[in-house]
Amino acid sequence: MTEMREDPGSLAHDVRMHVFNEAAATARVPQAPDIARALSRTEDDVRSALHHLAASKVLILAPNDGAIWAANPFCAVPSSFRVDVSGKRYWAICIWDALGIAAALSARAIIRATCGDCGVGLVIEVGDQDLLRTEGIVHFAVPAHHWWDNIGFT
Amino acid sequence: MLLFRDEEHVDRWCEARDLLRGAVITLEQTWRLARGWYKDKLKPDWRRHTLEETENLLRSSGLTTPFWSLRG
Repeated sequence: MTEMREDPGSLAHDVRMHVFNEAAATARVPQAPDIARALSRTEDDVRSALHHLAASKVLILAPNDGAIWAANPFCAVPSSFRVDVSGKRYWAICIWDALGIAAALSARAIIRATCGDCGVGLVIEVGDQDLLRTEGIVHFAVPAHHWWDNIGFT
Repeated sequence: MLLFRDEEHVDRWCEARDLLRGAVITLEQTWRLARGWYKDKLKPDWRRHTLEETENLLRSSGLTTPFWSLRG
C-alpha cells in the first residue's frame, strides 16, 4: 500500500507545494507526469493526490482529461488574462486570479486582458502594493454562494 | 468573473447571453479580494479560508449586498 493511500494529506501536501512552487518559479503549471518524476512517485499516486486537491478546491482539473487546468491563481494554458512579471509570462482564468498572481508572487505586474464583450485590450499595472494603472470594471455573473457550482463559468 | 470596458459592455454581454446582470465592482475592490485570497497561497502552511474569513474579506472590500452572501 502506498503512503498516499495511508495518508492522503501527506502526498497531497507535497504535490501542492511542488505544483505551486513550480508554477511560481517557471510560469508553467506542471502536470501529473512531471510531478511524479519530481517527487519519485507513480503517476497514479499523483493523480489521486490531484483529485484530493481538486475536491478540496485547491486547484481545478480539466473535466475531459483530468489535467490541471488551474492551480489558482496560475492557469495551465494561455487565456484572455496574461500577466507579465519580471520577464515571465503567466496566465490566469479570470481577472481575480490575474491580480492574484501579482499578490501571490508579491511582485509588480502588467496584466493584459480583453473586454469580455468586445475584445478590446485592457491594461492593468500592479505596483509594489497598489494598482498603478486600471482600465475597465469587473462583472461577477454568479452570486457568491453559487461560485463553486460551476467554477469554470464563474 | 470577467473584465469589461465599461457598464454598457457588461449590459450588452448579459443581453447577448440572456443573463441577468450580476454585480459590478471596481478593479481596486478586485485587487483587495485578490490580495486577501492569494497572498499566502505559496506558503507551506497555507490553508483554505474559512467561511467567516471569506465573509470578512468580502466585507472589507465593501461587498455587503445579498449578492455577496456565502450562506445562500
